[in-house]
Amino acid sequence: MEFLYAITIGPFVQIAQDPQFFLEVLVGGLLSGVLYSLVALGYVLIYKASGVFNYSQGILVLFAALTLVGLIEKGVPIWLAALLTILVTTAVAFAVERLVLRPLVNQAQIILFMATIGISFFLEGLGQIMWGANVRTLDLGLPSGPFIVGGVLIQKFDLVAAVTAGVLVTVLALFFQKTAVGRALRAVADDHQAALSVGIPLKQIWIIVWTVAGLVALVAGVMWGTNLGVQFSLALVALRALPVLILGGFTSVPGAIVGGLIVGAAEKVGEVYWGPALGGAIEDWIAYVLALIFLLFRPQGLFGERIIERV
Amino acid sequence: MAERLDRTTGVDGEPGSPGLDTFPKLLLRNAKLRPERPAMREKDLGIWQTWTWRQALDEVRAIACGLAARGLKRGEKVAVIGDNRPLLYWSMIATQCLGGVPVPIYQDSNAAEMEFVLQHAEVRFAIVEDQEQVDKLLEIKARCKTLTQIFYGDPRGLRNYVEESLYSLAFLQDEGRKFDAAHPDFFLATIAEGSGGDPASFYYTSGTTGQPKGVILSFDNVILTSMAAIRFEGLNERDEALAYLPMAWIGDNVFSVAQAYCAGFCVACPESGATVLQDLREIGPTYFFAPPRIWENILTNVMIRMEDAGRIKRWLFKTFMAHARRVGTRILDGEDVSLGDRALYALGGLLIYGPLKNTLGMSRVRLAYTAGEAIGPDIFVFYRSLGINVKQLYGSTESSVFVTIQPNGEIYPDTVGKPIGDVELRIAENGEVIFRSAGVFREYYKNPQATAEAKTADGWMHTGDAGYIDARGHLKIIDRAKDVGRLNDGTMFAPKYLENKLKFYPFIKEAVVFGDGRDYAVVLINFDMSAVANWAERNGVPYTSYGELAGKPEVYGLIRGNIEGVNRDLADDPMLASSQIKRFLILKKELDADDGELTRTRKVRRRFIGEKYGALVEALYSGKATCEIELQVKFEDGRTGTVRPVISIADAAVFAPRAGAAAPLLKKAS
Amino acid sequence: MTDPGSPRALGEVILAVDGISLAFGGVKALTDVSFDVREGEIRAIIGPNGAGKSSMLNCINGFYKPQRGTITYRGKSVHQMRSHDAAASGIARTFQNIALFKGMTTLDNIMTGRLLKMRTNFLLDAIYLGPAKREEMRNREFVERIIDFLEIQAIRRIPVGKLPYGLQKRVELGRALAAEPKLLLLDEPMAGMNTEEKEDMSRFILDVNDEFGTTIALIEHDMGVVMDISDRIVVLDYGRKIADGVPDEVRRNQGVIEAYLGVAHA
Repeated sequence: MEFLYAITIGPFVQIAQDPQFFLEVLVGGLLSGVLYSLVALGYVLIYKASGVFNYSQGILVLFAALTLVGLIEKGVPIWLAALLTILVTTAVAFAVERLVLRPLVNQAQIILFMATIGISFFLEGLGQIMWGANVRTLDLGLPSGPFIVGGVLIQKFDLVAAVTAGVLVTVLALFFQKTAVGRALRAVADDHQAALSVGIPLKQIWIIVWTVAGLVALVAGVMWGTNLGVQFSLALVALRALPVLILGGFTSVPGAIVGGLIVGAAEKVGEVYWGPALGGAIEDWIAYVLALIFLLFRPQGLFGERIIERV
Repeated sequence: MAERLDRTTGVDGEPGSPGLDTFPKLLLRNAKLRPERPAMREKDLGIWQTWTWRQALDEVRAIACGLAARGLKRGEKVAVIGDNRPLLYWSMIATQCLGGVPVPIYQDSNAAEMEFVLQHAEVRFAIVEDQEQVDKLLEIKARCKTLTQIFYGDPRGLRNYVEESLYSLAFLQDEGRKFDAAHPDFFLATIAEGSGGDPASFYYTSGTTGQPKGVILSFDNVILTSMAAIRFEGLNERDEALAYLPMAWIGDNVFSVAQAYCAGFCVACPESGATVLQDLREIGPTYFFAPPRIWENILTNVMIRMEDAGRIKRWLFKTFMAHARRVGTRILDGEDVSLGDRALYALGGLLIYGPLKNTLGMSRVRLAYTAGEAIGPDIFVFYRSLGINVKQLYGSTESSVFVTIQPNGEIYPDTVGKPIGDVELRIAENGEVIFRSAGVFREYYKNPQATAEAKTADGWMHTGDAGYIDARGHLKIIDRAKDVGRLNDGTMFAPKYLENKLKFYPFIKEAVVFGDGRDYAVVLINFDMSAVANWAERNGVPYTSYGELAGKPEVYGLIRGNIEGVNRDLADDPMLASSQIKRFLILKKELDADDGELTRTRKVRRRFIGEKYGALVEALYSGKATCEIELQVKFEDGRTGTVRPVISIADAAVFAPRAGAAAPLLKKAS
Repeated sequence: MTDPGSPRALGEVILAVDGISLAFGGVKALTDVSFDVREGEIRAIIGPNGAGKSSMLNCINGFYKPQRGTITYRGKSVHQMRSHDAAASGIARTFQNIALFKGMTTLDNIMTGRLLKMRTNFLLDAIYLGPAKREEMRNREFVERIIDFLEIQAIRRIPVGKLPYGLQKRVELGRALAAEPKLLLLDEPMAGMNTEEKEDMSRFILDVNDEFGTTIALIEHDMGVVMDISDRIVVLDYGRKIADGVPDEVRRNQGVIEAYLGVAHA
């Protein structure tokens, strides 16, 4: 009885008693969810452009963060390090297109998926060889510490992360909707064969998509690295974005963003209000439960393309 | 005519007075009074282009001088054919500058229909939109002796045409500018020669029988009537309208030219016929006219979209629309409404009405009209409850459009309002509506007999409509006077009234009722394909075509329900209770203007249909359950052939008149 | 309208097909087919179903590599042409089974046809600045002319997947036109259309040829339409050329009549 109360009524009583604290938890969750959104975005971009689920996106996050930290440790100024990291991710994109995607063109999706697993092992190894396997701290001098808005406590860093992600997403959205390249990307995502016939160079498109995915990974890696330290478990954290994809739909950019926010909020709120009754640490699995529920009732995700079966 | 003259001078200094009694003179005034205000817009290559009154004058001047250079003389007729395009509107005004008479022709007329008008009006020049119209004219040019030159707006596809006397409007304007440079005083002088009594344009009315008649309207007719309506409604230069109805229809000329030139407001032309609803949204007119059919289509689209919307949205829509029906029209009419209801209506405005009006392009509409046919009370009330001030008016080509308008605050869905301005309105002894006003046309061109039949020597116009003036002073139209007949039991039979009542049901597109000189009323039905197809899908009725649906018992059941609804209403009206419809059938083919079954304005030609489908009508009065009829059909590949479809005939229930029931004419409107 | 039956002055040879043979495994799709397309003409390739029409088009377009023979396009042998190169060198095409981007709007679809016309570098263009933006505006204007030309203003913002078949065909023609092709290949432009849509499409094809001077090679099995709009016609049957000439000659050709009436082949 007591347990039932603790998971059904108790949490809501608590919320009602101290709505301000609830708001704080919620905002914290939403802000941390922004990072999930970013990683999920990386998956969605590549999935849309090539129909491939890119397993190596998580490693890309780690690899980018690692490169940045490594360069900074070598005494390279932060701005130059950032620039060099961007160049490195671009180089990775070129290499992936040239060495993996091009030879495998027109192969089944599962083969491409396996190839991305290969890429992730390769990048993991390369990162270790280049920068070693120690945990590193990343300090870009981003503001930290809390501040209070309308009685709600907010972490400055979370806010910076959210704003950065917001800007990035806006820029990407404009890029996709307004530029010729963005249009070409959408065209490729829509229909490969048709894109080829109007002369859209598929190779260049892939390079651009992987570069953009790398950039998104870099931002995510920096933010996460600052929070958790740059270490190999970062790649696993990135896999937490999987439930986000299921929530948001594999093909939807807005879905990735909203899905990330929902997962972030659910984790924090769940942990605080339901955690004690369920023995704590539910933060680690609640996202997957959410994903499971979604798979049952709305398999195409929040914004995914509707699966319509016409008779 | 002498008696009329004193009535045809307008208020001093206002349009209609001697210095401002023609459209060219009004154009000069507008170019001087408001040179930089927009006069005309058109969407070209996806971008709205705007011409100010000053620029409009330049364009008109170039065309007018070009026509002069090409030899157009005072009194000669110029055909204008095409979609609503600024160049064509300017061509009409340019013709009037020279004292010529523009004769707009419906752009979807076929070559034979055009030939009649061109010959009858002795048209000398034709100004047309594009290749499509040029092709039609070239086909008949040899038989139209008076037609000497053709000008076109859009050169596409015409490059390789080698015909003589075929020029682009751009070329005409170039010639005009040269002519203007050589004769700088010509333009103003030729405008000054015109006066209000001159014919402004000819309008050929399609008519339900016989050949079209050319209605001659003078500048005074159109300008004075337009001014009366402008004063009645308070239109001004800040208004904006969308010109999308055929230029050959007097209504378009009054709304898009006469009133625009008198009040000085801007008129926008849609990008193409298919984009009107989008253009409406982009332009957001303040003044909008649409026949009932279009109001109906827009509403149907809204309803279909709402069916597909999410559950919450649908619930919100239903709830707030119900509230709007309860209080919306009363708020619009300025009646007493409780504060709570007003607040809820305001919330609805924020959530539903506002966004809906915005998608319809009617956020800014402050005055809208409907006319031509009776509008379904449901439809009428729907728009009014949203806060769109749509009103009914009554008029005709021969009256320069306006006879009566519903005054603000006095909107009754079953009437067409009160006479405006100087209109005198009476009901003749035979029940026909007659009136006298400054707008009554001069004459039918070359048809004194028809003119004499239509209007009396002292200027009373016979409308041919049967109606009465109710206790509130509003005119109510029942039917065409000549169509009102008698059943064998001697009671009144008004087929069009019945047809309109049937057509208020969204499933019924056309209805042709018979009963004059018979024992009871019967009807031939055309259902609305999109509405019924939608219904069929929802109810699991398989079909491939209109013809197949038309034979389905389920569809018969659906239509029977509608007919019985009408019968129930009729039973409540002692005058019409015996007109209840006993038997009906659904036609296997949609009535079509190309087959002569409808007029170009989509009015039913009852007599023609009665002859063509005579066998069906007889079957309706026999006891038979089915009937065969031989029909000529045109297949999609252009071949013709005959088919003999078997059509089933069904009965509908009739109801006993309720004792002492007052006739609730518009039950559905509540 | 110009009389399509009258022979026009023919331009230079823009495309020459010489001795093309193509086989899939053991099945011969084309056997020693030769013909040419001259600048400014409407050239039709017709034949009963399975005659090898689409294979021929796919060879010209670079989708298939013929085993034997050469294709010379504007003086250059294009035996090795890839479809992307074909597009870049001024050949645009439409497909029998419409290959549009279904999720994108009409406008965006036609805009993709302009991609090869972009002079700024494709990668640098990603940064939507100065020259790239101006170029985008120019492209948009050009595309608007096409939209106006094809009378599809009303569907500018509608995803093409939602459009009826006939309109999709028109959008696809628009996308091909956006590339300002020297040679336009149309693969069964009227397939699956009703009479009215066919008339519209015929008018657009004639207008494109007339207005832009585009050379058009089209495949069609509806003989009637082809006779009305083509300058010259090649007839294929079982992968071989059986006739080549102006419509009147082809109409009278005994071999063609037999092929279409299905007389047994010796």
